[in-house]
Amino acid sequence: MEKRKYDLCLEVLRRLNKCGILKHCILVGSWCLPFYKEYFKSKSYLVSITTRDIDIMIPVPKKITIKTDVVELLKDLGFIIDFSGSKGYIRLVHPDLVVEFLVPEMGRGSEKPYPLPQLGLNAQPLRFMDLLAEKTIKVKVDGIVIQLPDPAIFALHKFIIAPRRTDSYKEIKDQEAGLRVYNALISAGKGDKLKYVFEKLPMKWQTKIRKQLEKLTPDADPF
Amino acid sequence: MAVIKGVLREELKSSLIMKSRYEKELAKLPLGSLIKKRIRGNNYYYRVARINGKPEFHYLGKKVSEIEIERYQHAREYRAKYRHFLSQVKKQIAYLRSALRGKEEV
Repeated sequence: MEKRKYDLCLEVLRRLNKCGILKHCILVGSWCLPFYKEYFKSKSYLVSITTRDIDIMIPVPKKITIKTDVVELLKDLGFIIDFSGSKGYIRLVHPDLVVEFLVPEMGRGSEKPYPLPQLGLNAQPLRFMDLLAEKTIKVKVDGIVIQLPDPAIFALHKFIIAPRRTDSYKEIKDQEAGLRVYNALISAGKGDKLKYVFEKLPMKWQTKIRKQLEKLTPDADPF
Repeated sequence: MAVIKGVLREELKSSLIMKSRYEKELAKLPLGSLIKKRIRGNNYYYRVARINGKPEFHYLGKKVSEIEIERYQHAREYRAKYRHFLSQVKKQIAYLRSALRGKEEV
């Protein structure tokens, strides 16, 4: 990965940490993969393609009571505001990085952006995000404590959402990311953890995961 | 291969949006920069801007408010920053287009 991109990502996280926001956030999406390196501590664990999009999930937005203008906080780094899609989700864009905020979609769900007035932003509600927040791990990178989804949950979550993707390349990318973490867990002797998480999931989700695994690793029978 | 192409296409789309966003941000900044000339012991403020390729001076007065000075300083700093990023984005677009071997519209 480009060092410039990685350093900028760390600077964004450092600033969010300094103003007390980061502890309420979970880093999700493809940017988890490079940070899982700290968790696996294995040389064989290789990071796949990471896009510029860094997804930051806020599981309980109401917990953030500190008022911070995030747009202003990142402005001097060159980030500018962009409204994406027809719904107007706010993204902070920079040639090396795009910061997006997400919240778990609750109930019937709505495509409307979730307002985050305390941060001067809005967030995109997404299905299955609550699963990622169920169990998290903390990794320390450059003195910053970053919250990530538990790798077992991350891998299984990828298998659940992959078939829901409308873009085929995104489906393959999800499968690849899920499989990468899944294999890393197996290699690290943490297959039991995967099994434990899997068994706690609703039957419908278990079926989805099984289908994906049958397709991706037909010989293995992990659960 | 499909994944890489898909990612590149997505990145290209993102870069094109970024380009237009940086151009809009640049257009929002006040035109020109503020300069102070010292003539026979007195300070005179001018706004200098390049219009049709030629620098043009616009006299503002002997005194300019601190807010105005800061506004122009801020604009100068951000203009340089945004121009740098805009050029970076343009290079990305050219690179992504060639990587996709696409001269067609995306």
